[in-house]
Amino acid sequence: MSILDRFAESWRKYRKPGYYDEFDYHWTMSIDLDRCTGCGACETACQAENNLPIVGEKAFSQGREVKWLRIERYWEGEYPDAKLRFMPMLCQHCDSAPCETVCPVTATYHNQDGLNTQVYNRCIGTRSCAVYCPYEVRYFNYIDHKWDSPLDQQLNPDVTVREKGVMEKCTFCIQRIRQAKDEAKDDGRRRVRDGEVQPACVQTCATGAMVFGDRKDPKSKVSKSINGPRAYRVLDELNTDSSVIYLKKVEA
Amino acid sequence: MPNIERRDFLKLVGAGGVGVGAGYVLRESIKHPKENLIPHIVAPEEYSSGIATWYNSVCSMCSSGCGISVRTREGRAKKIEGNPLHPVSQGKLCAIGQSGLQVLYNPDRLTGPLVQNGVRGSDSFAQISWEEGLSSVANRLELLNAAGRGDRVAFLSEGMSGHLAQLLELFMEQMGSDRLLHYDFDHPHSLYAAHQQFFGEKLLPYYDLKNARYLLSFGADFLGSWISPVHHSIGFGHSREGLSGARGRFVQIEPRMSVTGAAADEWIAAKPGTEGILALGIAHHLVASGYYQGDDRNEWAVALADYSENVVAGKTGIPVETITRLADTFASSEPSLAIGGGSAGNHSNGVETLVAVNALNYLVGNLGKPGGLVFNPAAAGQASQPHQASLRDMLALAEDARQGQIEVLVINGVNPVFTMPNGTEFGEALAQIPLIVSLSSFMDETAALADVILPSHTYLESWGDSFPEPGVGIPTGSISQPVVAPLYNTKATGDTVLELSQRLSFNEAIPWHDMEGCLKEGWRKIFSQRGGRAQAGGFDLFWRELCKAGAWGEEARFEGTYALDKAVIAGIGVQDPEFSGSADDYPFILHPYLSMALHDGSAANLPWMQELPDPMTSVVYGSWVEINPSTAKKLGLVEGDLVDIESIEGSIRAPVYVYPAIMPDVVAMPIGQGHTKFGRYAENRGVNPIEILSSRVEEHSGGFASSATRIKITPTGDRVEIVKTGGNSRELGREIVQTTGESAGTSAKLNSIPITTVQT
Repeated sequence: MSILDRFAESWRKYRKPGYYDEFDYHWTMSIDLDRCTGCGACETACQAENNLPIVGEKAFSQGREVKWLRIERYWEGEYPDAKLRFMPMLCQHCDSAPCETVCPVTATYHNQDGLNTQVYNRCIGTRSCAVYCPYEVRYFNYIDHKWDSPLDQQLNPDVTVREKGVMEKCTFCIQRIRQAKDEAKDDGRRRVRDGEVQPACVQTCATGAMVFGDRKDPKSKVSKSINGPRAYRVLDELNTDSSVIYLKKVEA
Repeated sequence: MPNIERRDFLKLVGAGGVGVGAGYVLRESIKHPKENLIPHIVAPEEYSSGIATWYNSVCSMCSSGCGISVRTREGRAKKIEGNPLHPVSQGKLCAIGQSGLQVLYNPDRLTGPLVQNGVRGSDSFAQISWEEGLSSVANRLELLNAAGRGDRVAFLSEGMSGHLAQLLELFMEQMGSDRLLHYDFDHPHSLYAAHQQFFGEKLLPYYDLKNARYLLSFGADFLGSWISPVHHSIGFGHSREGLSGARGRFVQIEPRMSVTGAAADEWIAAKPGTEGILALGIAHHLVASGYYQGDDRNEWAVALADYSENVVAGKTGIPVETITRLADTFASSEPSLAIGGGSAGNHSNGVETLVAVNALNYLVGNLGKPGGLVFNPAAAGQASQPHQASLRDMLALAEDARQGQIEVLVINGVNPVFTMPNGTEFGEALAQIPLIVSLSSFMDETAALADVILPSHTYLESWGDSFPEPGVGIPTGSISQPVVAPLYNTKATGDTVLELSQRLSFNEAIPWHDMEGCLKEGWRKIFSQRGGRAQAGGFDLFWRELCKAGAWGEEARFEGTYALDKAVIAGIGVQDPEFSGSADDYPFILHPYLSMALHDGSAANLPWMQELPDPMTSVVYGSWVEINPSTAKKLGLVEGDLVDIESIEGSIRAPVYVYPAIMPDVVAMPIGQGHTKFGRYAENRGVNPIEILSSRVEEHSGGFASSATRIKITPTGDRVEIVKTGGNSRELGREIVQTTGESAGTSAKLNSIPITTVQT
């Protein structure tokens, strides 16, 4: 069997419906747009947890900011009936992710927990994934970012600092998931309990708009929250099968 | 562990290899050889490599008093989260609170005591030792004290609620001066005054947003900047989906949509300064339509006679139908709650407005009830809240300085040169004071005028405590403890004051040697008075538990009854607002608001906050002027056009942002930018709208009527690109943010998301 055949075979298996059913977890986030106030605490939590660089005003004006999680804002109507609706936008961890199929070096792939992962050491910086991503949540390091000393003392030792030429994006705080799994194992448990692991953004959300957990556990908070009439996916028509589920904003 | 440069490290390796003369090389190359060569033969307690240690403390980024948990690894602070045990923050934290790490690790921190060796403002400072700094200040204070002129010493500090406040009070008492001023730009003076007028006590109640079914908010940006945004957000989230059976609703009344306005079910723009008149219009309807059945309804009818719906509609610009609808819903939803503050309280009629809002709570009968206005029991640990300096007090201080009445001014944690309007000439007044001592951690606009700077630790390096004010309905307190060793040659504010006390021989009244001791004694008192459950193990166990938990609380509630004085009812009424500048020359009303990221400018030196897009506009790194689309069209302005904004006090220049949710004759600007000094991230960026505000004092409270300035706009013809996150601000039919009607919450519709399950 040639390499190509082997590749094609594993690819077929990988894209087969039900592929993810065999695994232990299916990490999912729900975001209640009726509770989100757009305050930005999640953005800062992400920045602190994941060593996101401070890019500076010039790079920002060139569209080279790095925000794994950003608040999108959409105005509706005109004065005096104007409304502003917020939407936290982050990697949707799609089960049929357009970005994964396009990477020539498999730097981005789907792991056994339903996470869309990015292997920084494999990434060669073609930026194809960013082009294919319909949610525009992938960020490229056009420059080597610096932390003015001693700001670097804050950097989280559990997370890599990325360098120039590498694509990066939300990981659902995989370092926290790993730690929770390790702790569960140390306790002699097979599974992580619901609520034991929270990405930084979910942890800090004061209104409780964000909920994170395992969709395979029907009793988990996230399963309950997405099992209602307000649940929907952004750009669902693209069949990306995303793992971030939004709850519609209630408007009278 | 101090930094080791790579070159130094190689030297170490080389020296180690040779084995001789290592001591010499080490001494020459780095300052603390032992610590570097073998970091920990015996590791400090609570230190294990690779494992995080969490410390509970209190956030000092604003005055809310949120409990925090700081994650440290190998002696360095890595992340700040809310303390889940703390009744205010309940495990949550806002963006600014999380950026406290960048205060600690800010590259522009002052690293040791400085003395001004040129003329003031020349930026010429020389390093001195603590001994020199403290003794020069102590000598001057000693001289004044000996000459009986101790009252010529003034202490201007940030607002605080714990034992440090008491220490400052003791110190100033010993000096024989009553010039201790706690100053915060955004302290709600008019709210306190209104509560004093209405309830007879200068204590804010707890607003039970969590359980309110219907909330009327008059200008209070309670999710963004008002009093305790994190705590309010928790309550708001709960009221949205947590109430059994019904979704709590709320209406925001303000001239420019704030973050809170965006989250509201209904945003209503009343003419600036008429919010209180609207409240009385609603009150009039409550009484006239018979919703209110109290014994004193006749008094109310008389007091509200001038505020019929028609009159109010004319003054506020809000249709009669809206007023009656708000009143009907307010009366029929139980429990309902009215809150007021922010810009509504910052007008010439601020106190009257907030008294009118309180009247609504009284009329709907929510006082002391869940979902209403819950009175706070007395705070533990201190007799009274420290007096907060209003604009009137600050102007008096400046006047005294000009008259030569003040010989020494100590400034701690505030930057009045930035937060006082230009018209007050505060900086010029400071120049008349012979000795200014700053305890600032940063070289800001005020510190630059100081003669001696004795830099303080940041809050993450100091001992302290706080009692949240307003409280959360129960007596509660929190401990602030050092989470990392001090980075630089700085001292905690309390320790600096204690050292000065010792030098001045205040030992009898102020016997402590350090802040930790002072705190412990204070808490020993609280423990003996109301120790509660930890009593068994004695104070030492209580103290240990307290430091571990970071928070302390009691299950006590306010006990007492409340009766309204009839004279209060008769005195209710809201004057028409007054503005500085004539409507003909200055056609627009300036609405300055606290930035979500930069607060009152005190967070402008934090790069995370400079890069946090403003929630409403997504702008980063700059200032902007928000203008209604129709006004912009009339003036021929588009986004990025530079305009001059001119008031009777002066003029500033900023780019236009066309803002869909602001009244056509109102122009809004965020406060926070425009620093001339405050480190590399803050300096020379944007403009400070406080500069051009007229320093109008609200009559009843002495507070700053900061929303009462009129301005005019002059296009300059120049343009800049506003830096903001990309993307179209309209959905264009893409159905990205989907909405649903309220009834859909109960109907059982199928959803398209499959949930696969496995047996666990």
